[in-house]
Amino acid sequence: MDAPDLTRIERDMVGTMSRTSWRYWLGLGLSASLVVVGGVAWSLALRRGLGVFGLDEPVMWGSLITTFVFFIGVSHSGTLVSAILFFARSPLRAAIGRSAEAMTVITILTAGLYPIIHIGRSWLFYFVLAYPNQRQLWPNFRSPLTWDVFAISSYVTVSALFLYMGMLPDLAMLARRVTGWRRPLYRALSLGFSGTDAEWALLERAYPIFAGVVIPLAVSVHSVVSWDFAMSVMPGWHSSIFAPYFVAGAIFSGIAMAILLLAGLRRGYRLERYIRPEHFEMLSKLLLAASLVMTFTYATEFFMAFFHGSQAEAEVFRWRPTGTYAWVFWLVIVCNSVAPLACFWGRVRRSLPALVIISVLVSIGMWFERFLFIVTTLAHHYLPQNWGFYRPTVPELLICLGGFGWFFTLFLLFIKIFPSISVAETMERQHAAAHEPGMEPGHA
Amino acid sequence: MPEPRVTLFADPDAAARALRRLHEAGVTDARVVSSAPFPAVHLTGRPGPWPVLGKVALAGAVTGLTCAALLQALTSRSMGLVVGGKPILAWPAFGVIMFELTMLFAGAANFIALVLLAAGARRRVAAVARAAVSSEQIAVVVPAERLEGPRAAAVLRALEEGRP
Repeated sequence: MDAPDLTRIERDMVGTMSRTSWRYWLGLGLSASLVVVGGVAWSLALRRGLGVFGLDEPVMWGSLITTFVFFIGVSHSGTLVSAILFFARSPLRAAIGRSAEAMTVITILTAGLYPIIHIGRSWLFYFVLAYPNQRQLWPNFRSPLTWDVFAISSYVTVSALFLYMGMLPDLAMLARRVTGWRRPLYRALSLGFSGTDAEWALLERAYPIFAGVVIPLAVSVHSVVSWDFAMSVMPGWHSSIFAPYFVAGAIFSGIAMAILLLAGLRRGYRLERYIRPEHFEMLSKLLLAASLVMTFTYATEFFMAFFHGSQAEAEVFRWRPTGTYAWVFWLVIVCNSVAPLACFWGRVRRSLPALVIISVLVSIGMWFERFLFIVTTLAHHYLPQNWGFYRPTVPELLICLGGFGWFFTLFLLFIKIFPSISVAETMERQHAAAHEPGMEPGHA
Repeated sequence: MPEPRVTLFADPDAAARALRRLHEAGVTDARVVSSAPFPAVHLTGRPGPWPVLGKVALAGAVTGLTCAALLQALTSRSMGLVVGGKPILAWPAFGVIMFELTMLFAGAANFIALVLLAAGARRRVAAVARAAVSSEQIAVVVPAERLEGPRAAAVLRALEEGRP
């Protein structure tokens, strides 16, 4: 396929925001409908209380916390991968960086809803914040749940700034190109960026510093979320492997979601010139590598559970593949460990429909993996007389579906208001490709 | 007050050629403006290196670390509750929030410094150049004082020859 010239790049990217196909409206309509359904289910919980959920002793964390952990995982990958690709000077970044960063910010905003819904009296969520109050009560800073509040709010702030910083040149371009209500919006958001060499030099100096801040922060966030579990003494949770295990799982689920979003963008906006098969091939290799790490982690968990002699730990791990939730366990293995192995074959890596199917399976598998380790530990821990069972109720499931609707709605709105691919980076790569014989011209 | 000379180029390579000629003529403080979201600075020069950005980020990090330490230590002492057998000042447990706020403040300071320094740098390039440059163009701005004296002719010739 021909390499697009600079003018065409600009026109194509602006075109993604001005053209609206029926597919877009269909997607937006479906996802907004899910938001409404989830909102109605939440309003039921607000009116009738937590009794509408399936939570009961001993399982007090269920599908809502599962969805929270799932979305935090998805969020993890976007900014982290984008920052790593930036340092690696990878051509993949120009194509996927913007969408991945937007995915991060939107998924954190989605994930943050679930603990608020889970606490029942959602209007009192601000109790977890550190603010001066007349009773002189402060959060318990020794608690991983308080760490979570700080970690997630720091991460969403830094990720949003990272996304915004990278968009400044594109916003300045848009402020000159578009008309109507968008023009003052872009003009205000571009913060006066006018493309002088000094501004570019500043941006190119500040951006690596910011990327350097983002990477450790991203790793820390999912580690802190894992410590919500690992800092307890529950069998199946109290493990030093949890932080790297969560980070690997987060990258795994994030890459799968990135493949799904990019496939939709490519198909919906005819961006075949920019989101190319080789980009998907690189992502599929990352997906495969993350899957192998996940499989190794699953095996290590089982090995350690049976090796170190704790009866309760061994019982939890015996129960996972053989007990009430055995079907969840085997579904997770098939989706997370078996299905991605197909990426060993080059034909699968180069087939977009196959990658989409694998990514859907991985997303399903990762949600159920979070469900599995949360519920089986709580339902089957130390005392047999306390063992129980948890089944999500319809309102819980609808709220979870509503979260997915919320995520896709925000993403669809984002790509309608902002360029879904970095115009500046695409132009830069294209220009470099035209001047450097060693660089592949199509690698915009 | 004499105006700076603004020359527009449609092609980044032509602008780069003009810049090279200007350097040869001794004009090293010409500035570049491009309305396209394309970093023409790669070709035409690199003002900076702006070491202050790193220092501001470091100052932000130290501020975040200090704020987190003080927040946790002072509030924990003010309540004085022993929770889970941990000491009142449980520094290992406080480490997580100290890390998070260190990174948050470093990032925020870096961003604020970028915005403020960019605003200052922008002012130094003539408004007339920023207004003149339109889509797919690159402007090379030569300060007015460079156009006076014996080098003026060489500068003007350099700009003319740099055109495609």
